[in-house]
Amino acid sequence: MQILKKYISAFLSITIFIFMVLLGSIPSQTAAAASGDWPPPRTQPQAGEETGSALYHSFCAACHGAAGQGLTAAFRSQFGPDEDCAECHQNTSPAYTFPENAPALIGPKTLKRFVNARQLSNYIQVKMPWWDAGGLSASQTSPLTAHLLHQNGILVPYSPKKAHQISLRQPEQTTPNPEFGGWSLTALLALAAFSLAQREKPNETAKPGTRPSFFHHLHPPRIPANQSRWRYTLGAGGLAVFLTIIVGLTGILELFFYVPTPEQAGLSVQLITYSVPFGALIRGLHFWGAQALVIVSIIHLLRVIFTGAFSHPRRFNFLLGLVLLVILLFLNFTGYILRWDEGIHWALVVGTNLLRSIPLVGETLYRFTIGGPTLGAATLTRFYAWHIFGLTLIGALLIGWHIFRVRRDGGIAAPPTNREYINRFELVRRETLAMLISLAGLILAAITLPAPIATPISSSATVLTEIRAPWFFLWVQQLLRYGDAFWLGLGLPLAMLATLAAFPYLFPRLPDAEKGRWFPRTSRSAQIITAWLALAWLALTLLELLTQ
Amino acid sequence: MTHFNRRDFLKIASNSLLGLSGLIGLSGLFRFLSYEPAPPPPLEYPIGPIDSYPPGSRTVLTEIPALLIHDPEGFIALSLTCPHLGCTVENLPTGFECPCHGSRFDPSGQLLAGPAAKALQPLQIKIKDGQLFLSQTTP
Repeated sequence: MQILKKYISAFLSITIFIFMVLLGSIPSQTAAAASGDWPPPRTQPQAGEETGSALYHSFCAACHGAAGQGLTAAFRSQFGPDEDCAECHQNTSPAYTFPENAPALIGPKTLKRFVNARQLSNYIQVKMPWWDAGGLSASQTSPLTAHLLHQNGILVPYSPKKAHQISLRQPEQTTPNPEFGGWSLTALLALAAFSLAQREKPNETAKPGTRPSFFHHLHPPRIPANQSRWRYTLGAGGLAVFLTIIVGLTGILELFFYVPTPEQAGLSVQLITYSVPFGALIRGLHFWGAQALVIVSIIHLLRVIFTGAFSHPRRFNFLLGLVLLVILLFLNFTGYILRWDEGIHWALVVGTNLLRSIPLVGETLYRFTIGGPTLGAATLTRFYAWHIFGLTLIGALLIGWHIFRVRRDGGIAAPPTNREYINRFELVRRETLAMLISLAGLILAAITLPAPIATPISSSATVLTEIRAPWFFLWVQQLLRYGDAFWLGLGLPLAMLATLAAFPYLFPRLPDAEKGRWFPRTSRSAQIITAWLALAWLALTLLELLTQ
Repeated sequence: MTHFNRRDFLKIASNSLLGLSGLIGLSGLFRFLSYEPAPPPPLEYPIGPIDSYPPGSRTVLTEIPALLIHDPEGFIALSLTCPHLGCTVENLPTGFECPCHGSRFDPSGQLLAGPAAKALQPLQIKIKDGQLFLSQTTP
């Protein structure tokens, strides 16, 4: 048995080594079609390109020109003195009237208003042709997109499924295929988790004369078994710490490329996503890690309320946790704004204007937040500073305090011990298992669901606008539809928070017999109120999703 | 009332002086934080010659954003920024609608429904040498 285990671990380490060699040696695809050399080389035609070409000439060429040059003066002058089709066609339907202008579609940087091929194909689908917007079927949009990509020298094969991975901004994708790395990494983590789960529980206590490693030392020597049951704690607190570390590390990596200026921010996010090797994976982990952190923190909060764990002596730590939740939401919102693209434009406008609705201090607070009378470079700098320094620093200090208080308050709320303990080695084993599984899940999310991205904010209003708040604020957006911005957008959420914060002071201390159980009788009304609040939150979020 | 000796007096006096200095320091911090480097830019937009807006036309100027109406009575300009929380309202045949929170306005910009409490803000129009200028009265 002992020998078998050694074989397994040797096998694992060899697999990891081979995998890393493979990953490191995948060549980056060479950058073709640098903006300078035009026309770009077209070695492999896009699939469906020929159909697309025919469609282009029947639908698009009339306005955008046969060579995709756009409605230039030279092109317009071919159409008689009125420079319009209606002259000869004697028809007054809009199809025979030229639009004011039609942009060029083929040539260097002509498609640069779109970030990726999916946005281009969506735009064609929704807005084109201009006299019958939305009139093209998906089977026509797809070859048209392929045709435009082909004409613009984009070599990455187009398929509607992978359209979001084809950048129209960068000369060419240079990243190694992130999916291969992601899938194999996930498989490896799953394998490691499996082998760890198979391992029998370590019952060794520290051998005489040896000391625990630093990582082990961070844990108490032993904790009551009651405090470490999955079905009681849901592992949510520990998972939140792990996700915080993941988000912190990937955030540090993003700092190497992110440029916090209005002109560069959106472009640098595109650079990370489309050009930096493994950039999409890092950004995906940061994004999904942050979303998961919100969910896990809320689950943690619900667990604490539904088990009555907020009561004395954990009253203060409950308040610390609520403050941490608020900081987390602020961190999430500021990070969202840092994309500085059209996808976040209206959330930024609405979120900051909401401050203005506060009586007396609103205007001052608004100007302090955005750094001047109007949104601009100072706004981005301040959001950046809060995101990477101010909120992060306060958050880190409070996390330390929160965890310290858990130990100071005698660990996790549980009935008095029945002499069953687990040691720190078993605790670390369980934590590692949870980390491996959640990391595998995160990587899967990062490679299959790309983090959102849109065209950088420009001064003029663009057509493709996203007016949805980030998902965790959709309920506020729905509330704002009903009336006064201050009372519904700030007052009500704050009142909800205050209600939660009052729980430990309204409900009596849990008797020992009710500790460590779900739904104790002593704080039943707290559970009912929270359930109603959670339901209201869910209902408002769903309503907002349906309204749009 | 217990005996209040010189030591107590000195203690209270020095503590309150320290506290006061702290407050003055805080006001310095407040002044530091509330400094605004540039005054708000004059909100005036040149929108070109009068002739580009023939009578009866309704032109959306996306840069401002505003709607310029040329009526028999003359020019009327409406800001398309929703007075609720600042989204740009959509110009529909039946009037205006805000995509963010659903406020609705009639074609002349008057409030019909929704969370907004005010009508769309009219903009001032100036004509110099046949050129039109729109300006926003500071909100």
